[in-house]
Amino acid sequence: QDYSFRFQSSDPAGNPNFELQKQWAESVAELTDGRVTVELLPVDSIVAHNETQDAIAAGILDGHITDTSYFAGKDPAFGLIANPVGAWSDPQQMFDFVEQGGGHELMDELLSPYGLEFIGVSTPGLEAFVSNVPLEGVEDLKGLKLRAPEGLVQQVFAAAGAAPVNLPGSEVFTSLDKGVIDAADYSVFSVNHAQGMHDVAAHPVYPGFHSMPLVEVSMNEAKWDELPDDLKGIMEESVKQFAQNQIASLKEADQAALEEANASGEITVHDWSDEERAKFRQIAMGEWEKVAVRSENAQKVYDTLTGYLTENGLIAE
Amino acid sequence: MEFFGLLQGLGIEGATGLMFAMLLVLLVTGIPLAYVTLLVALIFALGWFGPMAVPLITSRVYSFVSSFVFVSVPMFVLMAAILDRSGIARDLFDAMRLFGGRLRGGIAIQTILVAVILAAMSGIIGGEVVLLGLIALPQMLRLGYDKNLAIGVVCAGGALGTMVPPSIVLIIYGLTANVSIGDLFTAAFIPGLMLAGFYVAYVLIRAYLNPAMAPVVEGPRASTAEKLRLAKGLFLPILVVIGVLGSIYGGIASVTEASAVGVLGVTLSTMIRGEFTIGLMKAAALQTLQTVGMIVWIGIGATALVGVFNLMGGIKFVSALITGISDEPVIVLLFMMALLFVLGMFLDWVGIALLTMPIFVPIITSMGYDPVWFGVVFCMNMQMSFLSPPFGPAAFYLKSVAPPDISLGDIFRSLLPFIGLQALAVAVLILFPAIAIY
Amino acid sequence: MTEDHTDITPPRDEGGPIPEAGWLGRAIDRVGIVFAVGIIIAMLILIQEVVLRYFFNRPTIWAHETTVFLSGVAFVYGGLYCTARDSHIRVVLIYDQLGPKLRRAFDVVISIICGLSAAMFTWAAWIMVSRAAFAPTGEIRIERSGSAWNPVYPGLIKIFLMLVLGVMTVQFAILAVNYARGRR
Ligand code: NA
Ligand code: NA
Repeated sequence: QDYSFRFQSSDPAGNPNFELQKQWAESVAELTDGRVTVELLPVDSIVAHNETQDAIAAGILDGHITDTSYFAGKDPAFGLIANPVGAWSDPQQMFDFVEQGGGHELMDELLSPYGLEFIGVSTPGLEAFVSNVPLEGVEDLKGLKLRAPEGLVQQVFAAAGAAPVNLPGSEVFTSLDKGVIDAADYSVFSVNHAQGMHDVAAHPVYPGFHSMPLVEVSMNEAKWDELPDDLKGIMEESVKQFAQNQIASLKEADQAALEEANASGEITVHDWSDEERAKFRQIAMGEWEKVAVRSENAQKVYDTLTGYLTENGLIAE
Repeated sequence: MEFFGLLQGLGIEGATGLMFAMLLVLLVTGIPLAYVTLLVALIFALGWFGPMAVPLITSRVYSFVSSFVFVSVPMFVLMAAILDRSGIARDLFDAMRLFGGRLRGGIAIQTILVAVILAAMSGIIGGEVVLLGLIALPQMLRLGYDKNLAIGVVCAGGALGTMVPPSIVLIIYGLTANVSIGDLFTAAFIPGLMLAGFYVAYVLIRAYLNPAMAPVVEGPRASTAEKLRLAKGLFLPILVVIGVLGSIYGGIASVTEASAVGVLGVTLSTMIRGEFTIGLMKAAALQTLQTVGMIVWIGIGATALVGVFNLMGGIKFVSALITGISDEPVIVLLFMMALLFVLGMFLDWVGIALLTMPIFVPIITSMGYDPVWFGVVFCMNMQMSFLSPPFGPAAFYLKSVAPPDISLGDIFRSLLPFIGLQALAVAVLILFPAIAIY
Repeated sequence: MTEDHTDITPPRDEGGPIPEAGWLGRAIDRVGIVFAVGIIIAMLILIQEVVLRYFFNRPTIWAHETTVFLSGVAFVYGGLYCTARDSHIRVVLIYDQLGPKLRRAFDVVISIICGLSAAMFTWAAWIMVSRAAFAPTGEIRIERSGSAWNPVYPGLIKIFLMLVLGVMTVQFAILAVNYARGRR
């Protein structure tokens, strides 16, 4: 029996992330000899980015590739597991947590009540930070007007003394250009560069210090259960390959964009010292606790996460 | 029920044809047009999939009404409703007549200039068409302008909002095509002014060929005292414009916030003129509620239809249409333009962008064209979609506030020459890309 | 210059609900002021946000979400408001050619079709609300925005949309009955 699934991405069509996700969709067909085909649609084509979970549960979509934090409004736990600001300094650390540290089981537990099955995890990597003023450390964030996405990231910046401004992605460019805001969380360095963010904000911070989203690949639980075990195995494996492919490709693109930015002479790329990064992480961890108390699941995420980080020496006791 | 899934038998080609035919037929029966698109979306959700697909429509409606960019629509409409209820608009046009009244078509040309200024204040259309429809149209009619010319100027001028930066069309294109939004804005600036220039030239030609279309001020020149008295009418509106543009370009407010600055400015103007009353604000706000109800529900219908069409495989369908059309890049490009025009007759630009850009942009790039230039061409093409029947949003927006004796038929008839001018602008942009990318 | 600037314009006709909309139409029309004032409040909130951010460097975390919420409910209610006033734009190409009897028949059929669609959408909105107002465990949990402020606006707009669609269904039913009776 053959299976065909319709997935929606949280990225627009021309975004490099979408291109890589599309390669994943093609790889699924290849690896399963055409027994499973995945049609990948760009963001908003069927429903909005933060409505895919409901659409999958309702059987309108079959699956999605999306930043889990978009569902923080349903349960704060989604926000905490998707972007524990400061927890990871490298994508591999997060992958290890998901695969061996109990992250997969947590995601299963969080998604199952909503009728979704967690297949695997990816990430675009550490996002770069867009700024039109030089930022060398936490001190420089004081009073900085910045656009940050919903949830924990915004909270952490506020705790660091910045003034987070709520703005939709579509207004980030003009607002940076005209100086309504000083800085913004946007995307990885290469995407920021391609979309001209550095033309209006010449002081990017790279590598970023603030955000590395957990991108989940998941699908309708009932439809997943219909799959024979061998296909399930191949699907899970394909996501692992996709994740490695994504971080490698984007890192390469980031490097190319970085060279271009440095060569331009007009853009100054800032890199925070380990000390400053640690300071920011310290502030972030204070905010984790505040999210943890908001729901039972969030507390569970907090306990598992801090347990794993301590055990592996990623944070001090 | 047997009906569920039945439409799949038609295939996507047949279903697309049926969808457009159904839109047309239901439209002329007199069903409110917002409900026509919603109804067609519902029929195809049920007929292609079944009841389980219907929540996708309500989900899209929710996302549509809770999107930040649309906040500027009620702001512009409120501004228009307050202006309309005060004497500001009348005094403004009397003053404008003083300065442009002796030039044939002068008031229409000044209206186009006002439209360009409004376009620089806003990234979407809707609010501007309503504003010009409430303010400029009655004034032009009062001054004896030809009805069709006046309607065309108001609609086409109001639609410039997405052609002159800032522009949500260009922003969405930039996100979809992963090109620089700043480059797009820079590239769109001259083409936007060029299009406005076409409108001005058209007004001048028509007015001089047939002087009855645009009467000029007769009689002796006004005395200096009279001129000064009338010029006062310009003072407050210009101050409001400076306030809004200044807050955007001075980095004080975002584009959406600036629309609220405009409302505040207009309200303060009525206070200065001694016209402000609670009753005026109440009536203006109620009119705003009604007008945005009409405008937004047209958008709601459109967004529902696009979601259903995409779920049916619309993107794949467009992709199949375009592949293998020709090896000649120019032919492919022209075919794309034709396809955008046809889609523009029935769908709104967001839907068209979602449907076509994932397919068009990679092809354009691989053929060696500049994606920034293509973004401007796309944006120019979408100008036609706002005006073209049977689904021309700008025409509907104008209808929502136009005097009742102006029918939709009148509006669409008046728009035909302007659609021609827009097509000309698209052609010029394709023939001379340097207009955008210099 | 012969323009008379002192002429007093008569109070303009602001329109009202059509008689066929019945008691519900009148109620919908009266409640409209709540959402109309909401638009003015949204404007004031945006202004205070600009002032606080630009002059005091203290942007709020609630202004934009509240503005979007106020506009969103006004948009949704505006559709219902126009239904009661029959002010939604209609293409009357054929309709205007009809005699009074056929026209009435058209009005009845259109109201029934729109009513059935609205009923279907109310049901679909209920499916949406059942995920936005309740946690999977069944307890009441209104969907939040997930922002730092984290208001329940998304859940509220979804519930409001369902209610408005429900009222719209009833309104169309009343319209159909009154058109059929030929009540003026
Ligand atoms: Na504009
Ligand atoms: Na059109």
